Amino acid sequence: MSTSATDLVITGLGLVLPCGDGIEAARISLASGQPCFATLPETLGQGRGAACTAFNPAGIIPPMQLRRLDRPSRFAWVAAHQAFQDAGLNPRTMGERIAVAVGTLTGGSEASEAFMRPYFQRGPEGASPLVFPNCVANAASGHLALAFGLKGPSATFVDRENAAFAALEQASRWLRLGLADVALVIGTDGLFPLLLDVCRGARLLDRSGDPEIGSGRGFLPGEGAQAFLLESRAHAEARSVTPRATLGALGVRSAADTSEGARTRALLDATATLGDVQPDARIGGANGLCRLDAMESALAAAHPGWPKATHPKRLWGEFGGSGGQLLAAALLAPAERIVVTAPASSGAQFAALLEGVRLERS
Amino acid sequence: MKRVVVTGLGIVSSLAPNREGTWSAMLAGKDGLGPLSRLALPLEPAQIAGQVGLSAARHQTLCEVMALVALAEALEGYRPNSDPGRLAVFQGAGTSGLPTAEAFLEERLAGRRGRAAEPAYQSPCTVTDALAHHLGATGPRSTVMNACSSSLLALGQAWERLAAGELDLAVAGGAENLCRTTYAGFSCLKAVDAKKCRPFSRDRAGLNLGEGAVQVVLETLDAARARGATIYAEVLGYGASMDAHHPTAPHPEGEGAARAMAMALHAGRLDPSDVDLVSAHGTATPANDGAECLAIRRALGPAADAVSVTSTKSQFGHTLGAAGAFGAAAAILALRDQVVSPTLRLEDADPLCDLDCTPKEAKQRRVRAALVNAFAFGGNNTSLLLRRWEGA
Repeated sequence: MSTSATDLVITGLGLVLPCGDGIEAARISLASGQPCFATLPETLGQGRGAACTAFNPAGIIPPMQLRRLDRPSRFAWVAAHQAFQDAGLNPRTMGERIAVAVGTLTGGSEASEAFMRPYFQRGPEGASPLVFPNCVANAASGHLALAFGLKGPSATFVDRENAAFAALEQASRWLRLGLADVALVIGTDGLFPLLLDVCRGARLLDRSGDPEIGSGRGFLPGEGAQAFLLESRAHAEARSVTPRATLGALGVRSAADTSEGARTRALLDATATLGDVQPDARIGGANGLCRLDAMESALAAAHPGWPKATHPKRLWGEFGGSGGQLLAAALLAPAERIVVTAPASSGAQFAALLEGVRLERS
Repeated sequence: MKRVVVTGLGIVSSLAPNREGTWSAMLAGKDGLGPLSRLALPLEPAQIAGQVGLSAARHQTLCEVMALVALAEALEGYRPNSDPGRLAVFQGAGTSGLPTAEAFLEERLAGRRGRAAEPAYQSPCTVTDALAHHLGATGPRSTVMNACSSSLLALGQAWERLAAGELDLAVAGGAENLCRTTYAGFSCLKAVDAKKCRPFSRDRAGLNLGEGAVQVVLETLDAARARGATIYAEVLGYGASMDAHHPTAPHPEGEGAARAMAMALHAGRLDPSDVDLVSAHGTATPANDGAECLAIRRALGPAADAVSVTSTKSQFGHTLGAAGAFGAAAAILALRDQVVSPTLRLEDADPLCDLDCTPKEAKQRRVRAALVNAFAFGGNNTSLLLRRWEGA
């Protein structure tokens, strides 16, 4: 099967965010512009952040399974469940033809801390064989495969703040190569105490408790999962499903070195690969930390005719690895052309063009 | 589709810090397994590891050091002069960065503030970035963490983008260091052998852990020919699948693994009878080896009786995220030299492993094409298909 980029559509969306579970909660949150930051429960870390305190897996994840899952896997399971329902797809009818691509930073890390803490304190007898399998970053994809009977290709990406875009890129490729008919693209991250400690120690966190884009004060962390069901337009039409949006283009470029200038150039180049486009909406990845805000600022200066960007990380926090909250935000309001940029503090820089974003499905 | 060839291979292993030293030692039947000294884990029953003779540098993790040494060897002095946007780096990682996180946690538990290294330093994509900066690459860059199949999938990623004509050159592979989390983890799963591991053996009792790095330079055939590069082998395609069976155990009949191999054969348009070698995942765990041999039979059918199977785990231990790249390296060199490296300590084969698993001694034979397998936690399976380069 040969499919051009414009033939890929998003037919399913599932969201677990600090503002609540589901599309409607996210839409209301984004429209309100109210940040979701609060003092974190002690179990997640010290300080402020955007935690998924309303997360409710009841009726979706069986209790016996829930005990065995790390936080990113729980979020991913519920988001995937929503996405399959949204797309009207029963995954068990075509498991071998469904691929899974996951982007994360903290996948495996929460479990690693939970595994090593008692090991350091009590030696080998403190090591739990139930926890160790979740120490791998791809734990979520394995749990999703088991939960939904998914047997196609799978990959988990850990590229910095935009790993969900790397996942989207790989999923698009599998669909074009014919290795799958449907791809479940997931961004997922979960808060845990050591993450907060590391970020605070590295002076990345906003100490005012209210991150502001352009302030340079830093970010506040967040968590959640976003699931996107991707398939060819032909496949969606054959299932009589109306897409939520078309993936018009996806650009990726990398920085030649670690300097801010090189990363900015890479983001501009990635955006240029989208073509000469005039979007009617913009979603950006600024988070309050200089290194990402400056890149978004340069992008805005290079495109003075573009609409002002909405930066969802100001509401829902920096998820660290996924960046999927940016793609999610782009699907929450109708638009003909929406550009999403996902800067990262190193590595690859991504930009995506979504076209024909629709809320009504029929 | 463009044809894709391997034009460089760099190896840092517990046998030698270079390709030819590693390969000649493998063919001579040596292993790189020895007493664990990098980590002090006196309470762990297994005190064996495949350790490299390199150490972390002041501002570089051991993974970065090993990866850069392997890259330098793989490039053989070549400095790509094409558009930097058509140069790419794909890496597979397993535990890269974990030692830093372990040290930080230990400090915190001891009531100290800890050296809160930048989270970037704990992230495996720092290796990917270091390689890309060395290469001057501004094209695609990604870090896959599919546990033990990571680096083989990275090779597959490089192949598909080169075959699509999007790149001129890509570096793909993996680097892995020993760390306490994996030692403790595999140990509590009872998956570690206190003795040297014995893949495919009736009495196999688990894996040994190892470290090292393999970097592979892949180019389009056009680009390789244009610069007169040495061609080691041709990459024909890959397959990937999930078992959807168990978080850690493979499907007992190798269903998903067989599908990955079949996908690779389909991508490369080869018949099972064209394959002479399977560079196996071969971890020496009771669950893996039998299931893998069943999967090979399932994928190759009657042709399975004619293939040679080998496991690099018997030389290096399980290098986790880098293991797939190590398996690929063994296959690439087997295709080049027409000799299969041995599976060491295979005295008494498990009846479930009723294939020619190349016991104890290297085997000179015709090797036209090779499948490389890497399987992982989460039921992830990847299989890569390589073909001998005969100058056609």
